[in-house]
Amino acid sequence: MATTTATITLDSADLLSDNLSLSATMNLNQGGTTATGLEQFRMERMVIPTGTQFDLIEATTAASEDANYMYIVNKNTDVTDYVIISIKDEVIGRLYAGDWMFFPWDADVVALDGNDSAVEAQAYTHDATLEYCLFHNGETRPTSDDS
Amino acid sequence: MATTTATITLSSSDLGDNALSISNSATLYTAGTDTGITETTGLARKKFATNSNTILLDHGLPGGVAQDVTANKSAKVYIKNINDRGDGTKFVNILLAEVEIGRLYGGDWMFIPWSGGSGKDIEFTAYDTTETTLEYAVFYE
Repeated sequence: MATTTATITLDSADLLSDNLSLSATMNLNQGGTTATGLEQFRMERMVIPTGTQFDLIEATTAASEDANYMYIVNKNTDVTDYVIISIKDEVIGRLYAGDWMFFPWDADVVALDGNDSAVEAQAYTHDATLEYCLFHNGETRPTSDDS
Repeated sequence: MATTTATITLSSSDLGDNALSISNSATLYTAGTDTGITETTGLARKKFATNSNTILLDHGLPGGVAQDVTANKSAKVYIKNINDRGDGTKFVNILLAEVEIGRLYGGDWMFIPWSGGSGKDIEFTAYDTTETTLEYAVFYE
């Protein structure tokens, strides 16, 4: 089994009247296990044009109702550029240039009002360069059309 | 203006054939600017013992922090499930406006941007009625 850790550090010397220094580390484990690490991941860098909402990661039956973790970073540098990240067409938030997010993901393929749990992204202001890494417990592969 | 940074490190020596090491640091700015965010809830802790859907950050609370977070502003939310992982069968579902984002098992954390607005509450539903503790912080403008 693999051991993968995710650590966040939140720091500020001047946001509050005292220093802010918060750190948390977690192991990326499979759901329903004490400490069995996730063994699969997918990493990609892409450029998405403005004007259209795309599925960044499609929902998949194999990973549904399990532990999956998603990291996304907007690699643009113009501070006015942002990407809206949504699930089931529900906007989570805006990822501005340089921003990253990390969250557990329920890869539910069961439609809710016609939407599955695909992670969706739409770029605003300029095309967006995104990098993501999905840590998961399996994906349902599409059958080849060429066989 | 304040300078607040959020840094993530993802690492593994055995997930793939080569070591995985991802690190990124973001300064928390107000929307579309390079001016630092100046408001925060600070770190908060909430205990609960219910498996009913519960609002963690209530946009509809008059004068509440969440009411300041709107779609065209910049806000970030940190949430951690403080419980022990145990056998890994217990978790807290995190939802946005009743749409499930994912499961936070004991010890897990998340950090996301948040576009608030009417009905855009951040909610949770625990696996069962075992006492669960969440810590959270909102950084906003």
